Amino acid sequence: MRILLLEDDTQLGPWIAAGLREEGHVVDHFEDGKDALIAAMGQDFDLLILDRMVPGLDGLTVLKSLRASKDSTPALFLTALGEVDSRVEGFEAGGDDYLTKPFAFAELSARVGALGRRREGADSADATQTVLRHGDLTLDLLSRKCERQGQQIDLMAKEIKLLEYLMRRPGRLVTRTMLLEQVWDMSFDPTTSVVETHISRLRSKIDKPFEKALLRTRRGEGYVFGA
Amino acid sequence: MSLVHRATDPLRWLGRSSTLRLAALLSGLFAVAFILAIFVALSLGEQANERRLDTTLMTLAQSGAIANTRVDSPALILRPLDDLNGLPARFRRAVSTGGGTVETREDLMLSDVWRVLVTQDNAGAPIFVAVPIEDSEDTKELLARILWSTAGVVIVATLAIGLWAGLLAQRRLRRINETLGQLSAGDLTARTGLKQSHDDLDDIAQNLDQTAGELDRLVTQTRHLSASIAHDLRTPLARLRAKLEILPDGDARNDALEEATRLSGMFDAIMRLARIEAGQGRDGFEAVALRDLADDLTETFGPVVEDAQKTLVIDIAAPATIEADRAMLVQAMANLIQNALVHGGDKIILFAKGRKIGVTDNGAGVQPDAFEHMVKPMVRLDAARNSQGSGLGLALVRAVADRHGAQLELTANDPHGLTVTLNFTNL
Repeated sequence: MRILLLEDDTQLGPWIAAGLREEGHVVDHFEDGKDALIAAMGQDFDLLILDRMVPGLDGLTVLKSLRASKDSTPALFLTALGEVDSRVEGFEAGGDDYLTKPFAFAELSARVGALGRRREGADSADATQTVLRHGDLTLDLLSRKCERQGQQIDLMAKEIKLLEYLMRRPGRLVTRTMLLEQVWDMSFDPTTSVVETHISRLRSKIDKPFEKALLRTRRGEGYVFGA
Repeated sequence: MSLVHRATDPLRWLGRSSTLRLAALLSGLFAVAFILAIFVALSLGEQANERRLDTTLMTLAQSGAIANTRVDSPALILRPLDDLNGLPARFRRAVSTGGGTVETREDLMLSDVWRVLVTQDNAGAPIFVAVPIEDSEDTKELLARILWSTAGVVIVATLAIGLWAGLLAQRRLRRINETLGQLSAGDLTARTGLKQSHDDLDDIAQNLDQTAGELDRLVTQTRHLSASIAHDLRTPLARLRAKLEILPDGDARNDALEEATRLSGMFDAIMRLARIEAGQGRDGFEAVALRDLADDLTETFGPVVEDAQKTLVIDIAAPATIEADRAMLVQAMANLIQNALVHGGDKIILFAKGRKIGVTDNGAGVQPDAFEHMVKPMVRLDAARNSQGSGLGLALVRAVADRHGAQLELTANDPHGLTVTLNFTNL
């Protein structure tokens, strides 16, 4: 992917850029909002990663200007302002995701992956789909039925939501924070092991009785569903 | 926070208007004074009239030796005192008191009110004189009618002026009250904008506007300050994390990363608490059905509690729907469940009863005298600084309760355990 990175911090910027390049992305790194805006208007990027507080124009203004000129490139805000109202501001400005500093690189990487996929249009096709299939596992969102190898599996409402989120992102890293935000609608860490517990329950239902495990844990990073 | 009295119902404020009450009180006092004055004036007038009549009668009686004269006419009765035949009993009774005003049951020679005087003629013989005073009674009645109607007009006029002045003042008081309502609901840009009349009400309004401006400035400043603090602390934390992540994999690196995560978690909790405490108004408030909230929490936290070999029971009785910030409530309840999980016994009850929601446990409980201490930030009763959590749990719950104008109630269970309730009853 071709990624525009706007980050003025002399240590974080190069670290993020290097990490993303290591994953095979092409990164244009800017430290000034005006430069970033000019670049984003003139060239085609697959993803924008914008820090909110930078010299020149702040990230919020950069994105607002781009959205005003009908640029719909997915954008991820990277910011030290983590409070709910700041997040809301970010989404209202047209941001697609919002990551608060400090963050693990795996967290950023997972979100970059998710947004890149949205750019490819894969998500929008999936979004209308009400029956999700992966190998021998089927999840029917309308009848709320789940089956694996013809066996009926009883899932709780939250487990269905969790499985749906995972099945829509096969082979991709999904972090604990992403699950908290998307499945539980919590923008805070509930300190209890909510995600771990529910993942373990889900796993005991969809994986344990069967030969091949679909849900894998990537230690310290998150979870990957499917191949 | 909400105001005790809002200026919404037009009839309600009419009853609550102090200006109107004052006007009514003054009108009432005026009316009473006026009525008293009329009574005094009328009775004084009557006495003066009677004295004048008596003088006339006296002059008449002493105009000559008229003891043997006997007059019975509609204009005058004149008799020797020993010859009162044919006169009503009341006249005779008046004689025993030396005279006075006599009202007869039936007209006596066209008049029913007579002024009677027992006196002597200039020869010293006792005589009885009486004149009708119906005419002067008529005058008195006319005078009274004039006085009463004047009083009526004046009282109505006083009340009307009072009402008018009350309405004028009330309009401004209402504006002030509305502005206070908006301010307390979190709209810090609300102002009264009153300054035309240059009176005491305008002084109050202008002082209110000035205070609101100052409040607005302070809140904005605090917001900016907390944003700067967040930025200035999160950035080095992020650098620290970046530096740790590029270290070679190993236990030391992972431990350090875990510690960094805990540090930023703690910082997040502080920031969140600060934001909730500094928060204003009901932005983001929505209808939250406490039953749905309790069900949702049970589904989310039930398995977590079970994995800790404890049980989470849900207790629902007539749950209400309240206006609240759902995310904040979830956060507060998550903290309470987490507290019960760490400090409680083997059974945690999540309850939603009426407009109350909370968590009760059967753990060791807390001494009631420690309750007040508990809701302060950074307080952990066991003083075990190395135990789990930031020590901000209950402080955050209290901040959420305050933000909603709800009561945070801590009660000791029988025989042991703690119940924490968010009570929205008074909203």
